[in-house]
Amino acid sequence: MAITIDSPGTNQGPRLSRRGRRWLTAVSVFTALAIASVFAFVTFQPIQVLPRVRLAPGFSLIDSENRTLTSEDLRGRFVLYAFSYSSCESCSSIDETMLEIQEGLATADLRGLPVRLVTISVDPDDTPETLAAYAAATGADSSVWTFAAVEDDRFLADVVAGGFNTYYAVDGDGAITLDRSFVLVDNAGIIRNEYKYQTQTSDAERILRHLGVLAAEVENSKGAASLAYEAAHLFLCYAP
Amino acid sequence: MTESPISEEPAPSRPRFPWQYALVAVPLVIAGLVFWWGYNRAQPHQFSGAVIQSPTAAPDFTLSSDTGPVSLSDYRGKLVALYFGYTFCPDICPTTLQDVADAIEILDDGDATDVQLIFVTVDPARDTAERLGEYVRHFDESFLGVTGTEEEIGSVATLYGIYYRAGEGSEATGYLMEHTATLLVIDREGNLKEVIPFGVDSDGIAADLEYMLR
Repeated sequence: MAITIDSPGTNQGPRLSRRGRRWLTAVSVFTALAIASVFAFVTFQPIQVLPRVRLAPGFSLIDSENRTLTSEDLRGRFVLYAFSYSSCESCSSIDETMLEIQEGLATADLRGLPVRLVTISVDPDDTPETLAAYAAATGADSSVWTFAAVEDDRFLADVVAGGFNTYYAVDGDGAITLDRSFVLVDNAGIIRNEYKYQTQTSDAERILRHLGVLAAEVENSKGAASLAYEAAHLFLCYAP
Repeated sequence: MTESPISEEPAPSRPRFPWQYALVAVPLVIAGLVFWWGYNRAQPHQFSGAVIQSPTAAPDFTLSSDTGPVSLSDYRGKLVALYFGYTFCPDICPTTLQDVADAIEILDDGDATDVQLIFVTVDPARDTAERLGEYVRHFDESFLGVTGTEEEIGSVATLYGIYYRAGEGSEATGYLMEHTATLLVIDREGNLKEVIPFGVDSDGIAADLEYMLR
């Protein structure tokens, strides 16, 4: 083919290879562009996501209004968990962070993302009554923020320490040691971030920003764009 | 058109001719292969469930089956499909077990032997190891059914994100259990890799298993 199109005279070899070289150049340019675009995607991270860290535990809680709240009831919602207990004297900063987030949710642009806040008590002696008093004292809005205790104490450690990876200890005389920890769980019951250490940005600010990242993922990762979001997960383009 | 005289008579006047084809063709083929490889690598497989990237070890457990104790760690090197249900389950559990059995049928024989389903009962009061073994082997000979004490089952279920509780029922069915119906896949290294929601068909499950076995 090449011989008939291209003009006469000289032997075919160099002309074929010239055409071949053009092809080769085109393929190389295309490959280079593809590699460059992957590189640019990873470097500039036009899409950021939150990692899918691990599975959140399954549980059954009793809330401050004496209703059952299970991990299945919360499926489909984005839930921020905090850990505390009603007689805790050093938990005010945890409650303040939750309160700040509760207030932030009212003004943040989360595109209708269904968000719930849940404080789980690590005190086996907490009852719906003590939790109700605790909730009232912190200024929790019960339509957003629930206080609850694990229904069956046998599984308290599995839920809090095992599932949510939050350290707590109850010693012989009932004194409780508890680490500050917030855990963000997505609508599929997967932990998307844990907040255990103070950073320069406050926890409340980071958590609200991360809820925005999740809202964007839920809204945008549809059809072909879902591939771009999966690529962001694959290339670890995680929001700071 | 000029090939035959040349191949018949590889004259010393044109000794380089076949090489010149090769000069173009070989790099093209290599470039094509590299591109194809890169494209396949960059193209994420569309999973039917949620994939967990961070390699977190799936909590180990030891429960009993009718053929002896079963630990998750015994199956390191295989993909483990973990499902929580109960043998009196009227709908969701048999559907899921059948879907997994069909998915394993779809896989190549070599791949199929690298998948182990473990069915953990959430109803240890009624599901004995014998009953479980008989039940799961009805779907596939390789399936394992395991049980333990209420505390053991409760701990394992909690750690795997499974909620369950005894609910209502009729006289004919006995009580029914409410339970989370996700199918969990643990990779060859023992990390929890994927959470497949109820309702993914056998083709979807097979495609994900095949991808994770690659």
